[in-house]
Amino acid sequence: MPAVLVTHADEPLGRRIVKTLFHDERIERILALGGGPAPRSFDRFLAGSPPRVAYARVDLAKHRPMADLFRSSRFREASIDTVVHVPSHGPTGALASKERAGPLVSGVPPRTAEARLVLQHSLDARSVTSLIVIGSAFVYRLAPGNANRLSETSELDLDPNVPAEIRSWIDCDMVFHAEVGNHRARVVLLRVPTVVASGGFVYFNPALSGPRGLRLRPIGFDPMCAVVADQDVARAVLAAVHGGSSGVYNVAGTEHLPLSVLGRWTRRPTVPVPDPVLRAAAFAATVLREPQLRASVEGTHLRYGFSLDTRRAERDLGFRPSYRVGLGRAGDGRVQLETSPV
Amino acid sequence: MTPTKVLFLDGVREEVVEPATGPRTALGSDPFEAADAAEEPFSERLEKLRPLQGPRPGLLRDASSPSASPPRVRRPKSLGPDATLKPRGWARTPRLAEVDFAEQSGLLRLLPESERRRLAALDHLVDGEAPYDRFGFSPGALRAAFPLFFALYRFYFRVKSEGHENIPAEGPAILAANHGGLLPFDGAMGIVDILLHTDPPRLARAIVDRWAGRLPWVNVFYARVGQVIGTRENFSDLLEDGQLVFVFPEGVEGIRKLVTQRYRLQRFHVGFVEQSLRAGAPIIPMAVLGSDDQAPILFDLKPVARRLGLPVLPITPTFPWFGPLGLLPYPVRYRIVYGEPLRFHERFGPEGAEDPRLIRYLANQVRRSVQSLVDRHR
Repeated sequence: MPAVLVTHADEPLGRRIVKTLFHDERIERILALGGGPAPRSFDRFLAGSPPRVAYARVDLAKHRPMADLFRSSRFREASIDTVVHVPSHGPTGALASKERAGPLVSGVPPRTAEARLVLQHSLDARSVTSLIVIGSAFVYRLAPGNANRLSETSELDLDPNVPAEIRSWIDCDMVFHAEVGNHRARVVLLRVPTVVASGGFVYFNPALSGPRGLRLRPIGFDPMCAVVADQDVARAVLAAVHGGSSGVYNVAGTEHLPLSVLGRWTRRPTVPVPDPVLRAAAFAATVLREPQLRASVEGTHLRYGFSLDTRRAERDLGFRPSYRVGLGRAGDGRVQLETSPV
Repeated sequence: MTPTKVLFLDGVREEVVEPATGPRTALGSDPFEAADAAEEPFSERLEKLRPLQGPRPGLLRDASSPSASPPRVRRPKSLGPDATLKPRGWARTPRLAEVDFAEQSGLLRLLPESERRRLAALDHLVDGEAPYDRFGFSPGALRAAFPLFFALYRFYFRVKSEGHENIPAEGPAILAANHGGLLPFDGAMGIVDILLHTDPPRLARAIVDRWAGRLPWVNVFYARVGQVIGTRENFSDLLEDGQLVFVFPEGVEGIRKLVTQRYRLQRFHVGFVEQSLRAGAPIIPMAVLGSDDQAPILFDLKPVARRLGLPVLPITPTFPWFGPLGLLPYPVRYRIVYGEPLRFHERFGPEGAEDPRLIRYLANQVRRSVQSLVDRHR
């Protein structure tokens, strides 16, 4: 029975993954890591004797706390054999606290530093045999139009002008991709597009990440965004935990939405503006050192859409989306995105 | 500690010592112990949480109010647990008699009922909850744009057409037509004509050049009304989905034709033949008469066009003399003729797609078919 360590379990997708793993009886133990205090929703997971879930606050971007974690008696006792790395995707940027956004670690963004340390310590730990990582599908290079049907072998966007936020996703992706053939540990990289959660929440989309509010987009463009329900991402992780394959897999749902509609339904309405305004906003973001803000006003993802070819995940992991993304009406009467099982 | 023998690939045996498996003091602080010490016991946290369990301002209403129940998220009916995923198969539209449609508003009310039914039938082309397909097609956007194109079809170009029986009622097929005119009204009229003369109504998905994806507004409009940028993946996806794909195999060369070359088909691109063989889709030759007369090109300033990144920079009797208005088509009469389907796939099968000479030969056959249709009906 696998014992799983989940990183960034205090962030929305991490919480969903811990919940899904908790309800799977084939999972023996779950060690959840986060940067903040244990989420309230973990209270019932942490109860029970002995509890199947343990939670700890660890700064994943720092070497010492990570070394302490992987040498801790709890880690050894739990015989962790699977590490699920969920890169940070919570609210960062101008309107979030600086502490949460994190400083650059040795000149690299925290997401990349975390990726390196998680990989290094996971491969060093003898008990770990599987490493499952959530990556972003915004790492791919996009051609004009919505015609980009991206498979796992599609080219990554290695343009030097790509916004730093997306660059960190690409670095993170490449760090793990390089270890896919590792003979000691199985490395599974799941690339997800825009992740939608019930209540009109949206993650992993550089144009819409962060708190609710107005967003800018180039006038005359409204790219199609592939979406996936957070429950489906958690199901894909579960399939990867129990599966025996390693490699890179695209994970996506069946729905696609234009950026304007996705923004409106997640309470992040987009305002079309001319290019000079976007360039000024990108310049301001660079001066303010707000990489996420810059990624929300710059990049090909604001102009061109994509859809993901998920046949490999279907074949190797047996994953097919079983949640739909659609409109619901919230208690205050607003229409927002909801997810629902089929 | 138990020594273990390990055989390395170079054949050298070595003894290694397994690390201790029992409890061992961590070098630094144990994050889990720190968490346990810092966190209050669960029971105490629960006690503290209890007073907070009352209604939260802004989220829950006062319990004494008539509507005491918390606001609930109402989901669309189709999102309920009873809903089932549509099985994967061809994108089908229902027959006109089976279409349920609500009363429509705006300009749509001016359309005859059968046309409104046809538009309503297209809702079935979009799978899932979101009213868009992966290319950006939106039945709602098509409905909004349709009255304008219907008016152009009926009153401006006064389109006459024949041979609709050659369009299959369902399943994949490729329509290959001649291309002409500066603005692609031939494509628009073809799409409207097919929609108005098929039952179940079929939406032809026109393949457009890649550069259209770079044009602001144009790219959004094309995507919303069902046109698709021409890549191999898109083409094969549409055919796999059982859709009707509309191509102009001449490409940009078709709209560059000078007035002296009108209705003389240019060299065909061959990708559509390859896709036809792979997907087992028939090719329906289609002649569009009138498009070459809608904006006759006297000269094409190719070097300037190339510098500006445009496919063509024409001189016509009205352009550039009347500015952008000079690009508008003349009110010529259109005639559309559908030829008999060419079923190359039945003879050559998908293996034929691997032979470039065969593909070129078959593309020329299609060109000859379209040219003969054009010549016969001109």
